[in-house]
Amino acid sequence: MIIHKARYFLKETANNLWQYKTRHLFSLTIICLSFLIVGLFLSISNNLRDRADELSQNLVVVFYLQKNLPSAEQDLIEQQVRRSPLVAGVRLISPAQASEKFLQDFPALKDILMNLQANPFPTSIEAALKDPRVSYEETLRFIAEMKKNAGVEDVQFNRDWAEKIQSLGRLAQAVGFFLGGILILASFVIISNVIKLNVFARKSEIEILRLVGATNTFIRIPFLLEGIVLGIVGSLLSFILLLLIIKLFPLYLGNSLGALQELISFRYLSFSQIVYLVAGGGFVGFLGSLSSLSRFLRI
Amino acid sequence: MIELYHVWKQYEKPQWALSDITLTVKKGEFCFITGPSGSGKSTLLKTIYREVLPTEGQIIIAGKNILRIPDHKIYLLRRNMGIVYQDFRLLFHRRVFDNVAVALQVLGNPIKDMKRKVFIALRMVNLHHRIWDYPSHLSYGEQQRLAIARAFVNNPRILLADEPTGNLDPKLAVEIIGLFKEINKQGTTVIICTHDKELIRQFGDRILFLHEGKLLRKDAT
Repeated sequence: MIIHKARYFLKETANNLWQYKTRHLFSLTIICLSFLIVGLFLSISNNLRDRADELSQNLVVVFYLQKNLPSAEQDLIEQQVRRSPLVAGVRLISPAQASEKFLQDFPALKDILMNLQANPFPTSIEAALKDPRVSYEETLRFIAEMKKNAGVEDVQFNRDWAEKIQSLGRLAQAVGFFLGGILILASFVIISNVIKLNVFARKSEIEILRLVGATNTFIRIPFLLEGIVLGIVGSLLSFILLLLIIKLFPLYLGNSLGALQELISFRYLSFSQIVYLVAGGGFVGFLGSLSSLSRFLRI
Repeated sequence: MIELYHVWKQYEKPQWALSDITLTVKKGEFCFITGPSGSGKSTLLKTIYREVLPTEGQIIIAGKNILRIPDHKIYLLRRNMGIVYQDFRLLFHRRVFDNVAVALQVLGNPIKDMKRKVFIALRMVNLHHRIWDYPSHLSYGEQQRLAIARAFVNNPRILLADEPTGNLDPKLAVEIIGLFKEINKQGTTVIICTHDKELIRQFGDRILFLHEGKLLRKDAT
């Protein structure tokens, strides 16, 4: 009996979705766009977090040396860095090497660099830390000790970057959920109204069902299924769109942003994120239908 | 058996749509309710299938006081009833088959069983050859026969009809009442509201006269 009823519900839902396809298409578009916004920001946030994690795994302290520092003094500083128990490896980067790396990362800025009469990059010493989980305070003490050296002009520690990128990732997620939340709320209202219109359009049919002995649940289930299907299909469509954007966005940008492009690029959502969002879509659809039925289908 | 005890119904003060109706319709009876327009025929029928609740009184069907059935259990009462309307109330975007099958679908009947029952019901009203047509392609008489097929497809104990011949010409009306008679012969209690005197004269076993909500004459033959 349950199978026969289930078959009836599915058939009814499919019929109704097809019968009022224009209004369903409209609500699908809104749901799709809402979930696309959430998906886009979530994908940027994923990317930023991954970048931050990568940076945290490869902690590096860069000591920028004063210009025209005699090589004997450079060697002295390098030895001092190498002696530290925190440091796993040291690499001396000459101004020419720094310039070459810059051009690799930011090819669009080549002209600016070429127009400068002198190489603006100083010599630097890149110290890779032994353990990524090394104590922050210990590293800061090491940096402070090195800063006392007159030949060291500036120090850059990428842990600060990792933390900044991580908080940027959190911000992107929050913005996504805020904007998406508003749009999802709009989807909820739209689904609710579409189901309301469907209830009104099928008033006589509902009347007939009541008179032939249909239970309230029997009458309501196809409407609830309609809402759930709209929510699920809308969110699934948004992930297809997201995939297209992820594939097309780099083509559109080209290499204009260099290394920055890698930082802000979209990374596709994880399977669990997709499952949660699709379930969320179904839930929004279910709630939209339910709110409409409880207000307009008093049986 | 349908028993009504001192049933009163008021939609708006000061008029009473039904005034102190007490009557009994026995199992398997064929009964007409007649009276002028606005006399309360439809209201009386609606109280029997609990579409409207009486202001006062008791209605007992098969030993159960139907006014005590909670709203969410009304479907149990309606599954034992078939209801036919003057305006047919068909699903015009569904085929003839689906219009009849809907009464079985709510019960969760298996497809094979449902097809068999629908075909039997349609054959009885002589519409089996139009099974895959849409109701809009049927004539008025055929549409009413379709509504009747839907009403008795699940073998209800009671068949209620509200002006089932109102839109039909006299010849078709006789044909439709003839169908109700046939269903009645199978043991179904049939109550028909009509103001067609000719039909009552021709088919009336038992006639109940209503006037301004009052039952004027009971058990007239």
